[in-house]
Amino acid sequence: MAAIVTENIVKTYRTRIKSEGLSASFRALVKPEWTEVEAVRNVSIEIEKGEIVAFIGPNGAGKSTFIKMLCGILHPTSGDIRVLGMSPVKERRKLAMGIGTVFGQKSQLWLHLPPLDSFTLLAAIYEINDDERKRRVGELTELFGLSEFLKTPVRKLSLGQRIRCEVAASLLHKPELLFLDEPTIGLDVVVKQAIRELILRDNSERNTTVFLTSHDPADVENLCRRAIVIDHGEVVLDSPVEKLRSEYLGKKLVEVSFSKPQTIPDMFGVEISTDFQGLKSTLAVDTKMRPIAEVLETLSTIGNVLDITISNPPMEEIIASIFREQEALNRERE
Amino acid sequence: MKKHSKIFWSYFRLNFASALEYRASFFSQAFGMALSNSSFIFFWWIAFGQIGGKIAGYSFEDVLFIWAVTSSGYGISTLLFANASELTRLIITGELDTFLLQPCNVLLSVLCSRTSLSAYGDLIYGFILMVIFYGSNRLAWLWFFAGIVLFGLLMTAVVLTAHSLSFFLGDASVIGTLATEFLINVSIYPEKIYAPFIRAIMYSVIPVGIAVHTPLRLFAEFSLLPTLIAFMVAGLYCVLAATFFYRGLRRYESGNAIVTRL
Repeated sequence: MAAIVTENIVKTYRTRIKSEGLSASFRALVKPEWTEVEAVRNVSIEIEKGEIVAFIGPNGAGKSTFIKMLCGILHPTSGDIRVLGMSPVKERRKLAMGIGTVFGQKSQLWLHLPPLDSFTLLAAIYEINDDERKRRVGELTELFGLSEFLKTPVRKLSLGQRIRCEVAASLLHKPELLFLDEPTIGLDVVVKQAIRELILRDNSERNTTVFLTSHDPADVENLCRRAIVIDHGEVVLDSPVEKLRSEYLGKKLVEVSFSKPQTIPDMFGVEISTDFQGLKSTLAVDTKMRPIAEVLETLSTIGNVLDITISNPPMEEIIASIFREQEALNRERE
Repeated sequence: MKKHSKIFWSYFRLNFASALEYRASFFSQAFGMALSNSSFIFFWWIAFGQIGGKIAGYSFEDVLFIWAVTSSGYGISTLLFANASELTRLIITGELDTFLLQPCNVLLSVLCSRTSLSAYGDLIYGFILMVIFYGSNRLAWLWFFAGIVLFGLLMTAVVLTAHSLSFFLGDASVIGTLATEFLINVSIYPEKIYAPFIRAIMYSVIPVGIAVHTPLRLFAEFSLLPTLIAFMVAGLYCVLAATFFYRGLRRYESGNAIVTRL
């Protein structure tokens, strides 16, 4: 059964435009100019129950707008949406019982009060009786390791602790579908991994469908089986993460600093760019062609290494690679 | 209805608990507001002492009555529905998202999810005035309670309507502030000091006169029809405000500001 089905979803905003300067402000006061912005263009997707799907794209691509339409916050200009078999526009309240949300930028916890108080309020909102609330809070406390700070005001929690509480709060009413918008933003690697494990555990235990947006490629790699890439409001790629991993996420960036200027020998599968007269270099390593261990070994033999950092390529770069490939495919077809 | 009552009560308890987190701030704001209100009464006491008798048809006790109703009515509105005056900010920053994601009445959740600390001072101040100057006069207390219910409902409805204009205009916070100031200013002075045009507004566009001055007249001489009209108008304004809010909500565009719940 499909958890989410959208057909040709379009969302258009009417926005005022104004040229620079004070005189333009006066002109805009008398005769405002408007323009239409298409935030989402003809997006049609189908997501099965139990899937964990990454919805990725650069800032301003239309990800948040699309998620907000799926949740019933925004109404599409045209097209049809069915989430858990319901229309978010017509059945928002009924749908809200079946979905959980974590928006990294918006907290559902009360800053001055302990998470336990927020859970009590959410239980009233989701019509959970007292016995069920106590049992469910107990389960989530154990699962998410919240016992140490359950009675501490949210403002005194670390970001990692707060996000754990946010995810727990979103699962209180046992939603069938979980929307996660940048859930790991600002977290350190250990906490990020803990959050991912908790999401995976909920998915495997309750078959929860997860719809995730993130700028962290590691979230996509470790959590999702399918990735949908959106840019300028359009779906540009819908592919299994395995394929995305082999084609785009297989690259690693190695940044190396030397105490003396050095020249790095050419290596097959490695693109090298050097700054500061040889004191700093960035190596884009295609791990399919050359294992990262071999690259590190080569660097250590050069000597005078001060520092080495290994990272995933930024999401923007992955998306740019996808675009380059799409354009090349289009050219070939032409 | 049972669910709405439970949510309302949960928000009230949470707001109160949140206020008590900063005890010093809570008590200083509540006490400060009561003290500030007292300075106005002192002014009226001096004025009546100099002039004597009545001012614009109101005795000193009458002025205290309208002050008590206004203060406690304003207190009730901002204690239970403080977010009415914050609606513009919620619309602009996209904070309504949180409420739209929940399976409950959006308007009820928005309105009662925040309280004002100084509101406790306003609410209690009205009661203090009534205890000191009207003692155990049951009739006075009856019309006082009727007045604070009417004022609370009307004020919430008018402020909600003014701020709901933000759905259409972008930022209607100034209109909201003006509406609030109008409501208070015409409620704490004898109505005859105002020009006929202003008095016409007090009983039509923003009918706050029915919440403060009408109960005072009914306290002096009861009449069923004005009583019924007052409550019907207050109810009608609440329905109209809610309808206008939901019409505006269709135009809500959300936002991505970083938000925490206080």
